[in-house]
Amino acid sequence: MERPQTRRTPLSGGVEKRMSKSRSYRLSLRSCVSSRLGLTPGWTTRRLNSKRKAPKSQNITNQVSPDHLALLVKHEWQLSYVSPLYHFRHTQLKSYARQLSAFIAAEKQQGLAVEVGIQDSFKVSFSGVQGLAVADDDPETVLIQVHTKPVFAQQDDPLKLVWSGWLTCCNGSPEYLHSLPKDFTCLPLFGSSGAQNLTSLVKSWFQKNFDCSFGPLEINHTSLEWLVALWTNCNTETNIQNLKMLWTLPVEPPLQVTYVVEGNDAWDLWSSLQQRSEGDGGEEAGWIGIEEVTAFMQGLKNHFYRHFRLELSAGNLSQVSTSLGSAKCNGKIKVSNSRYMITTLTLLTECALLKMPV
Amino acid sequence: AIESALRPSDQSVSCRSGNRSMRVAENERRKKAEEPFVLALKYFSDVQTGTPVTGNDEFEKNLVLVERVAYSNGLSPEAISIMLEFAMSLRMGSSPCVRVLKCLLPSSVVPQEAVVRGVVWLNVGKMPITTQVLFLKWVLTVFDMIDAKDQLRAVYGFIFSFITEENLCPFVCHLLYLLTRKESVRAFRVRKLMDLQSKLGRQPFLLHLLSLYKVFSPELVALSVPSRVKSGFKNHNSPWKVALAAVQRRNGAQIASAISLALPVGDRTSSRKRKHGHLQIPVLTSVTNKQPHTEQNSRKKLIPLVQIQSFDQLLKTMHQIELPAQMGSLLGSGLALQYLDCVQEESALLRLNFWLGCALQEEFLFGSDDDAAHIPEETLQFLDKLLSAQHFLQEGFSSSDAFLYKFLNVWDGSLMRPQILGLLSNIPVIPALRKLLFEPLTQLFFTSSLFFKCGLMECLNSMLVKWLTWHSVYALEDDLDISLGSHTSVNMTLSGFKDSVMELVHFVGRLASVGLQLEGCHTLLLSFVLDFYGTVCDTFLKFGLPLVVMPPAGVFYPAFFAADPISLDRLAHIMHRYRVNLTSAKNQEKATEAFHISRQTFQEFNHYLVFMVNCLWNSRMFKPGMDVRLSEELLQKSNVPQYWTRFDLIHHPALMSYAFDFHQKCWPGRKEMDLNSIKVPEPWSWYLQYLFNQGFDGLKDFFQSNINQHSSSGSAEAC
Repeated sequence: MERPQTRRTPLSGGVEKRMSKSRSYRLSLRSCVSSRLGLTPGWTTRRLNSKRKAPKSQNITNQVSPDHLALLVKHEWQLSYVSPLYHFRHTQLKSYARQLSAFIAAEKQQGLAVEVGIQDSFKVSFSGVQGLAVADDDPETVLIQVHTKPVFAQQDDPLKLVWSGWLTCCNGSPEYLHSLPKDFTCLPLFGSSGAQNLTSLVKSWFQKNFDCSFGPLEINHTSLEWLVALWTNCNTETNIQNLKMLWTLPVEPPLQVTYVVEGNDAWDLWSSLQQRSEGDGGEEAGWIGIEEVTAFMQGLKNHFYRHFRLELSAGNLSQVSTSLGSAKCNGKIKVSNSRYMITTLTLLTECALLKMPV
Repeated sequence: AIESALRPSDQSVSCRSGNRSMRVAENERRKKAEEPFVLALKYFSDVQTGTPVTGNDEFEKNLVLVERVAYSNGLSPEAISIMLEFAMSLRMGSSPCVRVLKCLLPSSVVPQEAVVRGVVWLNVGKMPITTQVLFLKWVLTVFDMIDAKDQLRAVYGFIFSFITEENLCPFVCHLLYLLTRKESVRAFRVRKLMDLQSKLGRQPFLLHLLSLYKVFSPELVALSVPSRVKSGFKNHNSPWKVALAAVQRRNGAQIASAISLALPVGDRTSSRKRKHGHLQIPVLTSVTNKQPHTEQNSRKKLIPLVQIQSFDQLLKTMHQIELPAQMGSLLGSGLALQYLDCVQEESALLRLNFWLGCALQEEFLFGSDDDAAHIPEETLQFLDKLLSAQHFLQEGFSSSDAFLYKFLNVWDGSLMRPQILGLLSNIPVIPALRKLLFEPLTQLFFTSSLFFKCGLMECLNSMLVKWLTWHSVYALEDDLDISLGSHTSVNMTLSGFKDSVMELVHFVGRLASVGLQLEGCHTLLLSFVLDFYGTVCDTFLKFGLPLVVMPPAGVFYPAFFAADPISLDRLAHIMHRYRVNLTSAKNQEKATEAFHISRQTFQEFNHYLVFMVNCLWNSRMFKPGMDVRLSEELLQKSNVPQYWTRFDLIHHPALMSYAFDFHQKCWPGRKEMDLNSIKVPEPWSWYLQYLFNQGFDGLKDFFQSNINQHSSSGSAEAC
């Protein structure tokens, strides 16, 4: 390595040496921070996977408790991404539950002119969901539920679930997870269902306690197309009934097109593409490539064009649904069939990780 | 006359004054707008009952005007009175009523009389119930801005009578709740409320009012109010909240804090998710979930950063300080920044970067820009804070770099320009810059105004200076302490850094060449370009980086042929510094052989130098082998007398006025101007003295180092 041979030996060499030492250490640390997270030249390479495993029906009912599963399947979830949690401990869930209920109660009391009976009317529970972590590096999923007692309920009335949410990481990129220091727990995907103000309270509690940030997670065009293909691919095992797509076309006035395809017809088109591509190489079996997804979507669009003379490519796919679930571009998702939950969550985890700022 | 040119330091002044003039224009525009606004108010106070609304252009025009004023500056108390009166009297029917109510944003206070009159109107007209609700919601929203409450309390009973209207009841209860005093609590009112409760069920709003009554007169209210009541009244300020906050922010009113406190909680939290929620620097708080298992902690007592009050205290407790719960909060205070400068924990820096990265990308990349032209005050404040933090730490944050790499691709070059350019200048000079930075910047540079071009040049110059300075510290240490190798990062070797700097300089050279051409060698742009080369020519001596890069022809010749003497003088200075740097590099190269300056650089330098000396000193402009080549015939045809002398020290357009002046002073009696007479040896040396006394130090240095003074003036030689 070339080294500059400066002749200027500083008089106060010792002091200067100390000073510069700390400086260069920190500077190099800075570049470490970025390089180890693959940031500097790397951010361009972080893209959505162009290939993923075809979903296999997975009976996760054995691994995940039926209560949890029922809850996950029942609601439509509003998605957000979360930066890694600092000093989050799966062993402390009980204490977190206590703290969060106290926090919610305190926030709710704020600004009340007259105190009308302080009593913590919110009961929060944290629980780990076993069985959703697929890869070895995935931290365990965390489920948060907020219950409340109806105002004029009798003593023994059951608590009412008013809010629920979860944090998960499903098949998260091992390189990214490994690049984080041990202090961080990466659960990048956050889903919530319930009152808006509770969502923001929970978020702000997490921000304060685990120094993380939340941001909305939209499901973009490409991800929706992936879902179309992945779900259609399941039709042999589980009938998807109808493949329903909602397109938004940028014309004046805005035009919305609902395009429904009979599940079996969609599968016919899909399998014809599969046969074609499988002829090329057998070792790729069980994997779906983005080319196939694009071709499938193109097929659907062509079909529509033939009948209605309307080019859907000009618009945006904003919503898809089948009997397996539904997804909207604004980040709302519902997984109706637990058997294919992992596949969907894997895709969404990937989207969430793409949103990480560093 | 001496042309004046902008010195580099004038730049900040010029852009500031640019802003100021914009503001002045804005004020004038506003003043002009005020006149029609008065007329518009007059229209609404005078308009006859039954005037049609549909197709009424005058009405439409006036209302739009009022709305515009309301949403930008808020309405004065008188305007509120007039508009409220107009709306509630239903003079033009109920359809404009809603629209007017929605824009009733007070700039200072709401006159009580107007509200009382409004309440009275509720009873008179055939106002749709939804509009009545809207009015009550408005009253609740602006309640704390009503200048007095005595008259409202005087009509307590009147307001109470609306309680029987089922749709109005929740809002009336809320309003009563705010107005109730001990004397308002009467037995018949309690009875009425109990009646209602039996009819409507145990509604929270009734319960609240009753519980307040019970507080004042327990003997009248026999009802047992349950200890657990859903908290607060619902918040009804939604139609006005955002607009009102904006108006108050613009007017710098302090009422805002009072109002947000006074309103019952309801959806207080949802106000946090408004668009600029991301840009709040978190409050400095200590960690709540302590880590019990770390032994180190128990051994030495940790002090939360919040408790540190002074710099002395910080110094004393430096090693016991506990990081706050949210690292982003360190950006909020000066003392915390001092501490941040010493934080060396990777996790802590990572936390800070996660937070900052999220805030920036949510705000500027993913956020919906419904109103891109208007930049809210918070945004600018946030960025300024970030900038001053980076300035304090003398480096950027990697998340803001990452953000910029993305943002530059969507930036229009004008949105928050000073802030973005400020952040940009903190980007480290790394090998990957070409793709990340140069490509988007090239596009921006060629499609933007002269002002942007200058700004970018300044930014790239300060970027270069920062990293050269960083290098000069770093390189020094490398010399002294080689064992430090374990800390130095992998991707920042000296040669890598040198290559990156070279790439940056070449990049700016390309930009500058084409930019100068596009802008017709504009003096201002040229000045910024010369600033940049003022840094480049000294990289070796000033910063200890063994690298010398010459300016491209597209920069050198425009500077040389510039019509203003300052550019020429600065070019001469730069050439002089190049010479000093190259000479000393050559000497060291011979002595140590540790680095190598390419032969081509020396050739380029000599080439330029010979040209300059030939033109300015020897009056031999068109010599073979030079870059500027014109055929003899063409030159003859141009009919320029003695064309080879046109760019010497006397005839150069930048210096000619000095030659005239000198001529006049030297030979005051002469009628006919003959500049060539300066060429005679004696006046020539006087002339040089005269020029150097005008402050052309660059030219002075240049000639002193490059011209052998002892040789005759006509035949000086280049190095």
